[in-house]
Amino acid sequence: MRSLIALKMLLYDRSTTIGSVIGVVAIVFLVGQQLTVLFGLFNYMSVLADHSRADIWICSANTENINSSGLIPDRYLDRVKALPAVSWAEPLLYGGASFKKQNGQNEAVQVIGLRNPARAAGPWNFYQGSTEGFLEADGITLEYLDLRFYGNPKLNDMCEINDVRAKITAITRGSKGFSGRMVYTNLVKAREILNTPPGRCRAILVKLNAGAAIPEAVREMAALLPSARVVSAKTLSTETRMYYIRNTGMGGSFGFSTLVGALVGVIIITLTMYTGVLQRQKDFAVLRALGARKKDIFIIVLSQSVIIGLVGLFVGFFLLAGFLSATFESPLPSYLPRQVAPLLAFGTLALCIGGSLLAMRKAISVEPASVFR
Amino acid sequence: MPEPILKMAKITRDFHDGTKMRRVLYETNLDIFPGELTIIAGPSGSGKTTLLTIMGLILNPTGGKIQIKDMDVTQTSESKRANLRREHYGFVFQLAELLPALSILENITVSSVIQGARLNLQQKQRAQGLLETFGLQDCLRLRPLQLSGGQKQRVAIVRALMNEPSVLLCDEPTSALDSESSQIVLDSLKNISRDKTRAMVMVTHDPRVFPYADRLLKIENGSVVYDSRQSQGSGAV
Repeated sequence: MRSLIALKMLLYDRSTTIGSVIGVVAIVFLVGQQLTVLFGLFNYMSVLADHSRADIWICSANTENINSSGLIPDRYLDRVKALPAVSWAEPLLYGGASFKKQNGQNEAVQVIGLRNPARAAGPWNFYQGSTEGFLEADGITLEYLDLRFYGNPKLNDMCEINDVRAKITAITRGSKGFSGRMVYTNLVKAREILNTPPGRCRAILVKLNAGAAIPEAVREMAALLPSARVVSAKTLSTETRMYYIRNTGMGGSFGFSTLVGALVGVIIITLTMYTGVLQRQKDFAVLRALGARKKDIFIIVLSQSVIIGLVGLFVGFFLLAGFLSATFESPLPSYLPRQVAPLLAFGTLALCIGGSLLAMRKAISVEPASVFR
Repeated sequence: MPEPILKMAKITRDFHDGTKMRRVLYETNLDIFPGELTIIAGPSGSGKTTLLTIMGLILNPTGGKIQIKDMDVTQTSESKRANLRREHYGFVFQLAELLPALSILENITVSSVIQGARLNLQQKQRAQGLLETFGLQDCLRLRPLQLSGGQKQRVAIVRALMNEPSVLLCDEPTSALDSESSQIVLDSLKNISRDKTRAMVMVTHDPRVFPYADRLLKIENGSVVYDSRQSQGSGAV
């Protein structure tokens, strides 16, 4: 019943209530928007590792992140394939290159060379064409969201990368990376474009048999290849993300923006709820005179805070979903992991209740004797 | 002679006015009896409202003892006092003080549910019955803003009666009303005061209300200077 009184007070005092709800929406949307861009960028940073379909990566020694791996001998492939826990092993070649546009300008790209794109590290989604496009000797893929940066070429158009002729045989969808626009091709073509000496590759991807333990396999391969770095795909993905967060100032920047968003929201909630309590001081005094305890007044204000929080969460997540939907097929990185949404909701509700503490304190301090003045 | 419902012995009250402690109520001994309307009269600042709020367990006395139905309630916790107010008291404030966000029905039943209990059918029927008694049966779902001053004050009286209080305290209930509405409210309160299970105390500075009193108290500068029950007094009230 106290919650019902709380709700009625909120509905009666609409302008103040809307103000408080806006505060909650601000937290959800501003913080959520920062998080979606951050997680979207995370995906870009470690895209190769996350979509490699491999359990283990073999890179050059001292590799800190995916892009810092040097060249390793192809012969490591045979040694690794001989292990009983291994299902398959594939070489991977990648590196920076220059795509020449029709207007003569150049666009930086990251070329990824694969031997078996359907099995390992190949594009996971196509707008036009398929992995069969890799069968063509000159075949490359371009990303649909990047086409305008290339001058809007079409399927089967010829082009040049690092002065090497190539043919656009497929257009991917969603292949976005941090180190440049992603261009997939077969291993031979990649070697030509990147001028990589024969017998070398950038990494070896390994898939284990079902039931095989990754840590044990990592140890076994590391012992077998002491000159290389053997690491699980998950670890390499995390290390790559952390590397960029630490070394680009991104962590601090996003952290600060997120904090500002949360602070703005909390300030709005605090001010509007406090104003609301000031406007209802007489009502609280009357309730106290009629037999409400301080605890009952506290519950009323707490209920108001929760109601405002829940309504604000609903509106905020609705707007955030709209943002995610609008940026889904845009160059702006946006992604919100499933587990982040409930954390954001819980955190926002906690901030909402925290922001209303001042209002609660004011409400329970109202003296019933003030009705008589 | 019936037993007093409310007993106050050597009650005093001090306030800190920002620079020093000031006594606003001097040692007062007062028994309030059921079945009669006790009017406390006095000029503004005389201490009559302070006395009323002490009676209503809203203010703690600085000294003295207060009992309701032989229960010493002088040194009780905030929570216990709130419970006692809910169970034993009804209040009629100067400006009705209905909650604008709630309907009339919700306003008059608010003290029954404010501590978390749900309204039962019996309480709802009692509320509806009381509203009918006061000619307000059509106002059940209206909001206070939709009522006149006189209607609001009658709703406030219904609210005060809802929990069948032993003590009904009225703080200048007609001061904000026109003559016609005042008459209606005073007549209603007079009728209620005849209930032998209930004591009623009204504070006012309006002499037109005095004829309604069964007992008249005059307070000046924090002291009761006249009590008609003792049928002695110094001059006109």
